[in-house]
Amino acid sequence: MAEIVAAMAMTHSPGLTGWFTRASQDYQQQALQATAEMRRRLVAARPDVVVMFSNDHLLNWPINNVPEYTVGIADEHVGPADWFDEWLAMEQYRVPGHSAIARWLVNEGARRGLALAYLREMQYDDGISVPTHYLNPDAQFKLVPVTMNCTVPPIPTPERAYNVGTLIRETLRAYPGNERVAVVATGGLSHEPGGPRYFWVDEEFDRWFLELLKRGDHAALLRECTLERMEEAGSGGTAELLAWVLVLAFTRGPADVLAYMPAVAWRSGTGMVVWNEIAR
Amino acid sequence: MGNVERCDKTLPSNEMIYRVRRDPALRARFLTDLEGLAREFGLSRAEYEAIRDKDPRRMMDLGIHQYYVPQILRLFFGAAHNSNASAALECYQRAFPDETAKAMALEARLGGGR
Repeated sequence: MAEIVAAMAMTHSPGLTGWFTRASQDYQQQALQATAEMRRRLVAARPDVVVMFSNDHLLNWPINNVPEYTVGIADEHVGPADWFDEWLAMEQYRVPGHSAIARWLVNEGARRGLALAYLREMQYDDGISVPTHYLNPDAQFKLVPVTMNCTVPPIPTPERAYNVGTLIRETLRAYPGNERVAVVATGGLSHEPGGPRYFWVDEEFDRWFLELLKRGDHAALLRECTLERMEEAGSGGTAELLAWVLVLAFTRGPADVLAYMPAVAWRSGTGMVVWNEIAR
Repeated sequence: MGNVERCDKTLPSNEMIYRVRRDPALRARFLTDLEGLAREFGLSRAEYEAIRDKDPRRMMDLGIHQYYVPQILRLFFGAAHNSNASAALECYQRAFPDETAKAMALEARLGGGR
């Protein structure tokens, strides 16, 4: 039985590495302190594996065939993808995978009614690369990346993401090994990548969403934070928070909001969150 | 629903950008022979001209996925150190003056830089 030992979430906007210093000193400080605190808590939880839930930005799958979820099953993950390296201002990185757990997710997930596509070689843009830069820079934790679709219609609902989170949680727990597993959601908060409001951030929505996480009432969050509400706060980008909702299903009770910055400079509402309690 | 719902999943442009982005040779050709590339991928004249003119509004009106629009601008202007920031911003200011002005006012109020 694998054990879930930590759950957290952070923004993955490319500005956090690619043009970090374009934001104010204050935002830079807040982001560095919050990601350092996330890392401190991650190390303290002593995970063997980090399962990272992000979204595919139309990089790994063409628009004619976009799966709802995809697992990277490689023994080693290499990023950033060609052409994204200079945009993210990142050197090439290598992180060991945990292909046994990744393949278990795909196969046992199928037995439990969950269709997870997989890739033997996944390409990585900001979604996995930016959080890896901050949380796993020495590649000390093995990585199982799981990407979701939140940009190509039909976009799944928060309720669906939460139900998938519950299924993945139970599938991971049933893994026949003693691995300690951390789950990390990446993406959000409000932004509209490439849309008419490309340079806009919806601070009011972001603070409201983070308050819901602080309250820790899952039913209330799912009732109030509909897909329509996410889309109003930034189409095709704010719904990256579906990864946060998925990870919410691994947790219980209130989350600690370590930082929030309405960072227009990084073109995304920017936040870092850690949950204190894992669901039984 | 939001702007993303307006994309035409069957539009040839959306297939072309997916391929071009992943292939250094096609990325080079995008800059030197966009018209030939557009013909090979079966783009309409309107699609080709919207991309050639770097016009985000027309691209999205035709059904290009919004996520690909800044990437098309990056193919034209480059991406290192966010070097396309001002060029991309100018394209959006022309196409969406009201939305972009609102965002810039917010940025000025927050003092976050760009």
